[in-house]
Amino acid sequence: MSDLKVEGFKASDIIVRLSTAFNGFTDAERKAQLKKTNGIFELRISDPKKKEAIWTIDMKKEGNVYKGPAKPKADVTLLMSDDTFSQLAEGKLDGQKAFMTGKLKTKGNVMLATKLGGVLETAKGKAKL
Amino acid sequence: MSLSGLISGSECAVPFNPLSQVLKHTEGDRSLQQDRIAGPSSSRLQHLPGTAPTQASERDVAMARQFFEGQQGSAGPSTAFAPHMHPAELARLQEMNARTDLSEAWSREQPHQAAFYDNSRQVNWAAEFGGPQQQPGAATSAQPNVQGISGAQRPSYMGSGGLYNSSMSMGMYGAGMGPSFYQSYNGVPQTLSDQGKGKGREADFEAAFAQVAASMHPVQAESSSRIVEIDDSVTSVDEALKSVHLNDDAAAPQTNSEFSTVWNHLQESDTPPPKEDLAKWESEFNQLMTSQRDDLENDYSDAMQDAWGNSIVGESAESTKFDDNGMPILSEYVFEPSNKYLDPSTSTRSPLAEAKALLERNGSLSEAALLLEAAIQKGELGEGGYEAWILLGETRNMDEREDLGMRALVEGVRRAEAAGADGAGMLSLAISYTNESYDRASYNMLLRWLQAHFPTYPVPEETQQAVLSNSTWDSHTRITDAYLGLARQQYSQGIVDADVQIALGILFYNSGEYDRAKDCFESALSQRPQDYLLWNRLGSSLSNGSKPEEALGAYREALHLRPTYTRAIYNVGVACLNIGAHKEAAEHFLSALGMQEATGNGQTSDQLWFTLRRAFISMDRNDLAEMAKPENNTKLDLFRQNGFDF
Repeated sequence: MSDLKVEGFKASDIIVRLSTAFNGFTDAERKAQLKKTNGIFELRISDPKKKEAIWTIDMKKEGNVYKGPAKPKADVTLLMSDDTFSQLAEGKLDGQKAFMTGKLKTKGNVMLATKLGGVLETAKGKAKL
Repeated sequence: MSLSGLISGSECAVPFNPLSQVLKHTEGDRSLQQDRIAGPSSSRLQHLPGTAPTQASERDVAMARQFFEGQQGSAGPSTAFAPHMHPAELARLQEMNARTDLSEAWSREQPHQAAFYDNSRQVNWAAEFGGPQQQPGAATSAQPNVQGISGAQRPSYMGSGGLYNSSMSMGMYGAGMGPSFYQSYNGVPQTLSDQGKGKGREADFEAAFAQVAASMHPVQAESSSRIVEIDDSVTSVDEALKSVHLNDDAAAPQTNSEFSTVWNHLQESDTPPPKEDLAKWESEFNQLMTSQRDDLENDYSDAMQDAWGNSIVGESAESTKFDDNGMPILSEYVFEPSNKYLDPSTSTRSPLAEAKALLERNGSLSEAALLLEAAIQKGELGEGGYEAWILLGETRNMDEREDLGMRALVEGVRRAEAAGADGAGMLSLAISYTNESYDRASYNMLLRWLQAHFPTYPVPEETQQAVLSNSTWDSHTRITDAYLGLARQQYSQGIVDADVQIALGILFYNSGEYDRAKDCFESALSQRPQDYLLWNRLGSSLSNGSKPEEALGAYREALHLRPTYTRAIYNVGVACLNIGAHKEAAEHFLSALGMQEATGNGQTSDQLWFTLRRAFISMDRNDLAEMAKPENNTKLDLFRQNGFDF
């Protein structure tokens, strides 16, 4: 899992957690999740120094996370800063607001981008009322 | 047409306002003009020096043929601009090509056409045209606009099938001025309106037009009425003609001027279509249009439906459907198949009373749920016919069995509403919806509770409507306002209503404002310090608000009051997981599972297993994660052997 990390990116930890969550799926759950999301997300995260790190969340074929651009091609590419991604993953910022305010930019299927929140949610255990 | 609004002002009197000319364009029938423009102007061009080479190269002829063959095919898919296509023109083309299989032609020609329009030469023309066009005018800022328009519109015309484009450009292309004309056509109103004074220029055009018209006289003499019609849109034609000059002077590409030769040749060989055939062609044409339009509309709606179904409905859960109010449509509650309490010999007392007693003395939640199910199945529904259902739902939820709990609560709330109870079970159901991220259903339920519980408190009609129809963030704002108003009203009377605070807490929790949710639950706790449910809710707000350490304190209170509270145990596990204490998290999940399993009926929560697997994977114990499957629910000892204490 260490191969997912990129030095200096807060997003690294989230990606690792996400990967852990995906690995925790049983086959049936994985299938359900794939069917529910059915998309490949390419994340282009930039840090304040404009360095860019790329991860891909495949929620269409394999149901995994890997470093680097999507192969085959992504259904939607999301460009945002490291901070924005952390806030999105923590649920402090909602994707639509981020998109409206220009913190999140997308290429490709925007409708699919709205599903990213649900995918990221699995990375974080959520307490219940 | 909305443009009429632009020219109705008194200072924008028609003769002075270039926009009025635009309006004429959009409304007038220009099929005859197009004929004129296409025909005579191209033939006239041949007489211009240096533009008509004597011999057409083979390649150019081939291109021309492709182009003209494409005309016929491209007539098919286009629908929007059909009126502009003169039937006679289409007919001529059909005759010329003597081709019947339109769709074949279309599919074959499409790439060629695309190639045409992608041709970089066009861009050059546009630039050339944009340049000279500005020289007479003063406003240089108009230039980007003109180019922008042509750039934006060309693809869109392409997309609609290209009939408009082609019917225009067959003449235009021949003349080597296609794009320029096209551009001027679109560009003129823009340029003029930018300059704000069209009158002066118009006079120039008038002169230029008269000049050009004179040179075209022999051809136009055949019908004087046509000249009048051209006058109708004098700016555009003038501009078009002007641009012919400009382009010719500025070295129009040789290849394209070849088209004029071919075009004229084809046109001359053509005999005027007989009148009776016109009607026939027209009907054929219309038929073709209609059939194509149906196809297009079908495709579109299917695609939309598909996209809609995939992205919106499928967002919340794989198979969950929602009704118009955003309520998830759930299947009916499924009773445990082998409920030992259903056997009349096991109990002489009323199962409902027994369940209540069991809950009272902190007995097993699963046992209590079974007792309640037995009570319901025996028809013992308690107060108002809903009490047992709601109690069952709440018990299931406490036992971390959300799916069952929600179904039972839906049933209970339905019965409570029928019985006219003041919102019994609604808050529990709203919480259940919140946990499953059914935001709209949650807001809807909170509104219904507000109306049922405080019938005298006025809720604006607008708010009620918004909750039913508007987006979640809008209904969230409105319903929060309603609740805040109520809370303030109560506060001014010295009352703190725990239920209202809980409802507000749910609202803030829903929108991710965990700090405010925490405050609400805390003030509710000040009224009911012994309510373990509230302690757990306080803990969840803290935990999801990224304060898992503080959350543990609240959970401890809850578990102190109610040691068998499965949900609180699960939440402790989640908090441990988020802190990074994976082994402790696993132990808590295991003990929660043990509690569910205790009744021996073998029903456990998949969610618990899933979270347990995550804990194991985080510990790098993939071997244990492999074992953490619902079918191993009777073998929890396996984990004990691996050093987990629960």
